[in-house]
This record gives sequence, structure tokens and C-alpha cells, in this order.
Amino acid sequence: MTSRRGFLKQGGIALFGVGLMGGIPAFLAEAAASGNKIINPFQRRKIMVTIFQRGAMDGLMAVTPFTDENLKKARPTLFMTAAQGGKTKPLIDLDGRFGLHPSMAAFEPLFREKRLGIVHGIGSPNNTRSHFDAQDYMEAGTPFNKGTASGWLNRAVGLLGHEAATPFQAVSLTSSMPRSFYGDNPSVSISNLQDFDIQMGGNKNAANMAAKSFEDLYGQATSSLLKETGKESFDAVKMLQKNDVRNYRPAAGVAYPNTALGNSLKQIAQLIKMDVGLEIAFAESGGWDTHFNQGTENGPFARNVADLSNSIVAFWSDISQYQDDVTLMTMTEFGRTVAQNGTGGTDHGRASCNFILGNDVNGGLVHGDMKPLIKENLEDGRDLAVTTDFRAVFSEVADKHLKINNDKKLFPDWKGEKIGVMKA
Amino acid sequence: MKSPVKYFLSLVALLSGIFVLSSFLSADWSVAPSFKFPYKKAGLTERQAAAHLLSRFTYGATPGEIDEVVKTGLEKWFEQQLDGNMPDDSLTTLLAPYDAMKMTNTQVANVYPRGGQALRMAIKDGVINKDSAREDRKEYRNELNAYMASKGLKPMQELYRQLYNQKVMRAAYSHNQLREVLTEFWLNHFNVSTTKGDAAEFIPAYERDVIRPNVTGKFGDLLLATAKSPAMLYYLDNFTSSGASANQDNNKQFQARMKAMEEQAATNPMMAEMMDKVIKGKKNSGLNENYAREVMELHTLGVDGGYTQEDVTQAAKVLTGWTVYPMSEYGGGANTMQQLARIGDDDKLKAKGYYHDGDFLFTPNRHDNAEKTVMGKKFSPAGYQEGVELLDMLAHHNATAKFITRKLAVRFVNDNPQKSLLDKMTKTYNSEDGDIRKVLTTMATSPEFWSASALREKTKSPFELVISSVRSLNATITQPYQLYSWANKMGQRMYGYQAPTGYPDKGQYWINTGALLSRMNFGLALASDRIPGVKIDLAALNKNREPESPEAALLTYSKLVMPERDVTATVKQLTPMLNDPNLGQKVAEAASKTPPPTLPAAQSDMMMSGGQEMMAAGAEPKEPKPNAGRRNGYQAQTNNKGNNTMLAQVVGIIVGSPEFQRR
Repeated sequence: MTSRRGFLKQGGIALFGVGLMGGIPAFLAEAAASGNKIINPFQRRKIMVTIFQRGAMDGLMAVTPFTDENLKKARPTLFMTAAQGGKTKPLIDLDGRFGLHPSMAAFEPLFREKRLGIVHGIGSPNNTRSHFDAQDYMEAGTPFNKGTASGWLNRAVGLLGHEAATPFQAVSLTSSMPRSFYGDNPSVSISNLQDFDIQMGGNKNAANMAAKSFEDLYGQATSSLLKETGKESFDAVKMLQKNDVRNYRPAAGVAYPNTALGNSLKQIAQLIKMDVGLEIAFAESGGWDTHFNQGTENGPFARNVADLSNSIVAFWSDISQYQDDVTLMTMTEFGRTVAQNGTGGTDHGRASCNFILGNDVNGGLVHGDMKPLIKENLEDGRDLAVTTDFRAVFSEVADKHLKINNDKKLFPDWKGEKIGVMKA
Repeated sequence: MKSPVKYFLSLVALLSGIFVLSSFLSADWSVAPSFKFPYKKAGLTERQAAAHLLSRFTYGATPGEIDEVVKTGLEKWFEQQLDGNMPDDSLTTLLAPYDAMKMTNTQVANVYPRGGQALRMAIKDGVINKDSAREDRKEYRNELNAYMASKGLKPMQELYRQLYNQKVMRAAYSHNQLREVLTEFWLNHFNVSTTKGDAAEFIPAYERDVIRPNVTGKFGDLLLATAKSPAMLYYLDNFTSSGASANQDNNKQFQARMKAMEEQAATNPMMAEMMDKVIKGKKNSGLNENYAREVMELHTLGVDGGYTQEDVTQAAKVLTGWTVYPMSEYGGGANTMQQLARIGDDDKLKAKGYYHDGDFLFTPNRHDNAEKTVMGKKFSPAGYQEGVELLDMLAHHNATAKFITRKLAVRFVNDNPQKSLLDKMTKTYNSEDGDIRKVLTTMATSPEFWSASALREKTKSPFELVISSVRSLNATITQPYQLYSWANKMGQRMYGYQAPTGYPDKGQYWINTGALLSRMNFGLALASDRIPGVKIDLAALNKNREPESPEAALLTYSKLVMPERDVTATVKQLTPMLNDPNLGQKVAEAASKTPPPTLPAAQSDMMMSGGQEMMAAGAEPKEPKPNAGRRNGYQAQTNNKGNNTMLAQVVGIIVGSPEFQRR
């Protein structure tokens, strides 16, 4: 494992007062003992927040090319229009060609302020329509190589150009480690920050003692997986001690949806505001596999996009002091068929769209290259063609925002062009 | 005159005759298994080998179980487990209260209304006013509950609660452990999920009737049974997939009628409206590829199994018309029921090309009648039989043999099984018609199974950790739901993995920072009796012999919890803790300050393919939270029973230790 404990050339001992076992994380104690100069380890860094929409979002319903008659024909009951006075609430007309689903109204101001950008026709060059495969390829960042052991976000951690001063450098708000985070660079996955402690029925002494025992045991574990993970766990526990995780209050007027995504983003905001050194965060959103009655202005799809946009906008307002430091990007494994299926839904397709939010985003635009949806322009005669490789967008965001410009390592085998989703 | 010798000899002959005869009559009495486990070559003692067997084919050894396996004979024990017919009377008694687990799908569908169905019924019957339902939540809840009770309806949460509880009880207490382990394995392989509302209520019968009886049988039988089950038909949408519109497209008469309609529609608005309806109807009766894709990718061939997108589409066409027999007169099923009743009994249905088998229905009018080709094999129009042939072809494909045997080896040997082992297992699969029992026997009799690269190489999944803990501590479980919640908190929500892939069977997947802390906290909570309804008696575990010193306790209990393992490292590392001069005081404080345990919040895991039918927040079943009175009673109990608190802490740490996370 590469410099896993390389954390801390510049420790921040003063930050840790009381708490578990004297409250000094092992890596800080080591640094102090070695006499390294101690400055604030958690200087503000740029933060990239990613959201994986599992199940494949129907990009054509999220951001609809409403002037395209072909789409209207292919979707007799699912097509929505931007025109007023129709059967359903009109789409939000973004640019005369694309319309945002009305349940994502919260996004409109950010788009108009040019902080929210959209890429349409984004997807993978590998045309698999299997959720599992497509997610695996996208999260590994190598669409034609299954053997890639690491995830692209984990590689990004390694390419940040400085060693982690904190176990919270890369955090996934999931109960299990996502594929994007697989790899040798330190990362943490946790679905609830409050669980980050050894609990002994409220008795601090006993808990400390148990924690000490566990720390010793895991420190000596023969399985490297258990040993490394154990060490990370205890470092993280110590860092959260000083913060009042339980009683977090979002900024005034901010209301997160009470959903899995809302809760994840709320906790990411919490970590950002705690200044614990977060740089890469990951959250998930589910329910996008709309094979069956996906609905139009109401229904499962509308609920999903409402959750997505409201959660993101709540997060964005909550971190108002940090907006210059944060870029948020969504992703989904593929899009859905241009034509609706026989059951009021859409099947697995190819390209979808994604959203990128931040002050250095080239926003207010629908990027990408979507051709009219006539059969000749569709992939395999049925799906929205992939015109932008997801790696072009991911690498540009990582490059411009996190200053990771080693594409060869971040996305091996990819030599494509970036498309200008970020400000030059 | 018979000489005594002769008499004696004939007696011997007679007796041996009886002996031989009885050996035929009672196979489990005297016929030795035809195979031998090669553990001695791997340098293992018989007891170590028994411990390994138990770590692979059970949810963990109970106290004394290694002795029992040695006494029975390792090979014979394995055969008994493969047979899965050990008496399980005490378990049957424990499961008796779970009445819903004995219901048929039809009964479940009629007693446990899904989603807002009960509310819709109540509104229809005029019991609840449609508008007030929106306004006063509490009042309408009460009204709705009263209405449901009057109709004999029960909330879905109750069904889930029973489902989770019986899972825990079976895993913890069944004497047919391998059957339970394999049931979990195959259920995960043919994954369905409570997160998909339409499929959820059929999971109990799916596990009971489709999975459990077939876990050691022929893979092809298992595959066919899952394909025809309501749980799978709903989970992967095949129930709705139809070739009717494709048939219309191929029907010249229909085309001509449509064309005529189109011409009239230009001038006649009524005709235009009618045409709209026909088009919409067509769109709502089309092909759905979901099951066809996953059956190839996840259930049989594997993603590199050599099929194309066109094969998926063609296979989906083969499987059109495979759907669920209507179960409830409420909702959409009513029409179908009437239609079928008009045709008549099963024989009459068969004559019309239908096929009715339990909850499964093949409807010829939804089947695509064109010729199809899947992976080079032609399927001439033959209705239901086409699908049977397709699944049979998939079950017998070499890619399937490789895919399935590898998955079994990953589950039972290690995360990266050796090729030499896989080759042997694949060979058995192919030559024995996908006989799972024989594949498992090949695996367990291979040297690779006993090699150092297999021993303790698997990381326990959360459910395995939870169940192996209660088994090794001989816990008495009265609230199994608590254990379900703990596994959930560690990242494994039983029956709730959203994606058709099922949970990955890989240590790396389970072990991460947050989950690891939960595992440690679980150990502490369990050993110090802080999990309501899960009681352990640590003294009894050591036959009520009190250890002489903390060090002796550490050694004794390490050996009890982790039999046949090298516990020296664990003991050595934990000894300093015991020498803390304030130890007694610290742990006593811990015991007196114990607050009521809180239930881990149910997580809504976002998995691979978000099923759109997510349960509404709050739909998770809730056990009553222990109240203050309960807490007092519980404390008194703890004090009376006198689980030594120092001991509890030691055992808690052992359960949370890295060594115990492995099997």
C-alpha cells in the first residue's frame, strides 16, 4: 500500500485536545515524535463531490430535446414539451432546444447563473447494456479492461500531488466501499458519521479500553485488509471526536430532502465545514432503472429528479462559504432507449446526460453533440449515441478543479479531447 | 445332528445377513461415504479438518460441534449435510409463530396488500374519504388500520418482520446448516429484492419453495424454477414482457386495418382517438429484455459467456408470455381470471396453448410467434416449450459450468480459487448434468479445498459474523430482528440487495472503515448483553467453571469462541489490557451506565440498479423500541445472571477481533 501512513508530514497536533486515548491519532503522534514542523494540516483544498445515479438515468427525460419530433413519436406517452398549456407541466426551456424536467426547477437558477453545466450524449465507448458491467467500467475508468483493480477516484486520490493529512481525504457516504474507491490509496466509507466510534454503552472508560484493545489487535492482524482498514478506522474515530457530529445544523433556510441522497450530501457538507481535509467525496442515488411506468410530470422518474436536484441545491446553499472550493458532478452508467418500451418505461440504452456544478464550471450550457434522433443517428438503430466519452468530462473536471493532469494514470488507454465543460 | 461349530457358523451367517440387509435399509447407518477428504496430506489433524468443514459448510461451529463431527466421521457428516434431512424439531417449534411463512403466494397477496392498495380499497368501500386521507394523517391511519383489521388484512411490515426473523432463526439453529448456507448462496445468485415492491411479497415462497428444495439438485431445475416464480418474474419484469404487438406487426390483416384507420383518422376525430388507443395499447404490450439479459449475464453464462445484444433480444422474445397466474380478484388480475375461467380447466387451457403450473402462467396471446435464434440455436414456434428449451440450453452451456462452479468455489474455498480446482469442478458439472451435490463433493475432496490458501481465507460477511457469533456463544435468541438489524448496519441487508447481481462475495467488499467499527461494536454489545432479546450465558459456556484469573479467562474463551485456531497472538495482545489496575472498576462502571440499546437505523442501501419501486421511507418494519421498564428488567436480569463484566468485555473483544472476522 503506497504511503498509506504517509499522512502527516505537517501534523496538526494542536487541533486534538481530549478524546479517545489522549485523542492523538497515530499518524499525528508519529509526526510529532519525528519532529516534523507542525502547521495546519487541513489547509483548504479543492473538493470534488461525485454522485453516482445507479440504475441508468433516462437523460432524454431529464434534459429533453423537446423540438425533436422523432422523440415525440418514439415516446407517445412519455414525451414532455416545453410548450405551455399542454397536458403536463411544461419543461423548463434552457436554450430553445433542451428542456429541463419540471421537477428539477431548483436547478434553473444555477443554470442561469452559469454555474451549472450539462453534458448531453455522455457515455461509455463500451456498448454494454449491463448495469453491472457499465458501472464497473465507469467506476474503474477503463471501459475495455475489466482487470483494472483500482477505481478512478482512488487513483485520483493518489494523483492529488500531496500526501493525505487526514483519513478523511476521500470519503464515500455509503455503507460499503464503492468500486470507484477500490484501491491502495486511503479512503473511508461510512453511511452515518455518528457511527464512527467504539461504543460501550455510554461508558467512556470502558469504550476507551475496548478501543485500545481493538486497535492493538488490528494493528497486529495478519490479514493486511483487516490491518489497514483497522488503522484507518481508528484514525478517523479520533478525528471526529472533537466535532459535534450529532447536532449538526445546516445553514439557515437550508432543508435537505429526507432521502438517502439528501442525508449523504448533508454529511458531506458537514465534513467540508469541519475542515477535516476532505478532497474527494462520493454519494449514491438509486431507483433510476425505470423499465416500468416511469411517469412524466409525476411518477418514479419525477420523484427521482426532484430528489436529485433538491438535494444538490440544498447542499450547495449549505456550503455557501465554500462554493469556490467545491465542484459537484453526477454520473450514471448509461442512458435509456429513445423509444419507450411496452410497459410505460424505457429499457437499457447508451448515452445519457450529466450535471456539473461549481464556480469554475463553464455553466449555463448544454454541452455535447446531440444529433436529431432519426434512426440513422441512433446507436444500433435504437439508442441515443454516445458523442462524449465520460472520461473527457471526468478528466477535465479533475484537471481544472483538482489540478490532476496525469490522464495517463487517471484514465489509462484514453487519449481523447476535452470538451470545455470547465472554464479555461 | 448339528455340531456346535456348524451351529455357530450358521448363526454368524444369519447375523451377517441381517447386517448386510440392514445396511441397505438404512443408508446412513453403515454405508461409508464413497469418498475420502484428503486433509491429512495437507497436514491437518482430524479436528482441524472438522473445524475447516464447519467454517465452510455451516454458519459457524457451536460449542462442542467439532467433537460431534469427528464422532460422526467427517465424510459422513458432509453427506448428512448434503442430504439435508437431519431432524430439526426444535427449530420447527421456534418457527411455528411465523404463520405468514407458511402461506402460499396467493394467500400472501390476499392478506398483505402492497403499497397503497389497502387505502385504495378502503376508499372504494367508502370507509375512508379520499380527501380526508390526505389531510389528517393520524386519523386516517387509525381508520385504515381498523379497516384492514376488519378485512383480515395485515401490514406488509409484518410479512418482512417474519421473513427476517425466520432467516436468523434458521441460520442460527438449523441442524441442516449446509442447506441454509446454500439457500443463502442461491438466493443471492438468483437475487430478488424487497426494494422492488412488486416482487417483495413473493420472496418468502420463493425462498421456501423455489430455492431451498433445489439447493443440492440439478442446476437446470433450479434455473427453471426461478424463471417461473412470481418473485423473479416481477423482479426482472418478465411478467410484463409481451410479443403481442410484434405479432400484430407481422399480421397483414392487422396492418391493413391500421392503414385504413389511419386514412380515416385524418378527417374523423373519433377514429383518430381510437387509433391513439390502439397505438398506446401496443406500446403497453411490448418486449422487455431485462430478464433475458440477466438470466444470461448473471444466472448462467456470465458476462463473458459469448452472447450478443441480438441474442438478448431474441431470448427475450422466446420468453414472452411467461407471466404470473392471477392471484387476487382485486386490481388487474380480475380480468385475466375471468378470461381464464371462460376457457376452463388446466387441460382446456393446455389445448389452447396455455400452460398453468402453480403460480406460473404461460399465455400464448402474449407470446411472440416468430422464429428466433439464440446463440446459433433456432427456436421454432412452440409456445411455452421454447423457453424451457432455452433455459435448458443455458444450463448446459460450458460457459455456465465455468461460471457457476467458480462462484461456488469462491463461496466455499477462497476469493481466488485455483484453476486446477475449477477445472475439476467444471468437469463434474458437465459430466453430471449440473448436479450441484456432485460438484460440491468434487470440491470438498480436492486437495485445493484443504490447502493453506483456503484455511481461514474467507472474510465473514456481516450476516455470517452475526450468526457465527451467536452460534459460538450458544445464544438464546428471542428477538431475531435485532440481529438482522446489526447485519444491516454492517452493510448486508438481507433480502434487500437492489441489483440483480446479488452481494459480491469478496472480503474487500465487506471490510471498510465504517463497517469494521460496527463489527467491533457488535462484539461488545453482544457479549455484554446489550442486544435485546439475545442472551448469552458465558459461565455456562465454560461449564460454570470460573476461570482462575483474567489471563486464564482470556485463553479459555479465546479457545471456546475460536476452536482449533491459533489464539496465541490474540491472547498475547490482549493480556496488557487485563493488567490494567483499574480494570475491574472501569468495566463495572460500564455495566452500571449501560443505556437502553438503540436500534441501528435501517439503511436504504443504494445498490447497482436502483429498482424504481423503492419502499417508501418508514415502510421498514420496526420492532418496538425497548422502553425504560424493559431496561430495568433487563438490568436486573443481567445482574442476577451475573455475566462477569470483565469476562463480557474480553469476549466482546474476541468477537470483534480480526481473527474472528475470518473463517
